Amino acid sequence: MSTVSLDAIRKTRLVDLTPAEAFERFTAGIGSWWPAATHSYGGDAVTAVVLEPRVGGRLYEVTPEGERDWGRVLAWEPPGRLVLDWQIGEAAGTEVEVRFAPDGTGTRVDLEHSGFGETDPRERYESGWDVVLTPFVERAG
Amino acid sequence: MQTYHQLDALGDPTRRLVFEQLRAGPLAVGQLAERLPVSRPAVSQHLRVLKLAGLVGDVHAGTRRLYHVDPAGLESARAYFDRFWDDALDRFASEAGKEPG
Repeated sequence: MSTVSLDAIRKTRLVDLTPAEAFERFTAGIGSWWPAATHSYGGDAVTAVVLEPRVGGRLYEVTPEGERDWGRVLAWEPPGRLVLDWQIGEAAGTEVEVRFAPDGTGTRVDLEHSGFGETDPRERYESGWDVVLTPFVERAG
Repeated sequence: MQTYHQLDALGDPTRRLVFEQLRAGPLAVGQLAERLPVSRPAVSQHLRVLKLAGLVGDVHAGTRRLYHVDPAGLESARAYFDRFWDDALDRFASEAGKEPG
């Protein structure tokens, strides 16, 4: 069993907006910039992408067939920070944090997507081996 | 860039729950069924789909079979979202200079 290093994904972009404007554009304005044709379930059928502005709020896409969730808001701290529980594909159960900080006359946007593999698989096997060995020991005794 | 369909073995909410349980460590079918509001046969069915999708692997452990998250599946998910966020944030940055519309 080899060790798997699954570091968090980290991305940074600089934008020519204040942090408050960048936060607003990223969240309330998500439908205007999100590349839904490629980054969605519905592709070209997506008519809207919505992020509900509160802790517990949903991030979802809308198509003529209905709505489909992408995630849920875990932290809502305008204008500095947003955290989402990410529910898409193999990344279900991972976490996306976006931070907005002043940088010169603009804003630095830092995104971190974490939780892909939070432990070394060998550690998982350690607890797994307890499961295996306990009945073995019970039976042997 | 593919849409989410193609990595949609986890589109089913119950299947997602099964997968999320396994993130914490390997479990047998019975243990999963105890933790979730689902029958053993249903858990087995979800595990089959997850295994076919390369998300979950299994090992024999005496008379039992333990299921675990497949690290290769996690790596491909991480690689996918690495590109995903580059594309999405490039779009955000290029739209950020424009008037809201």
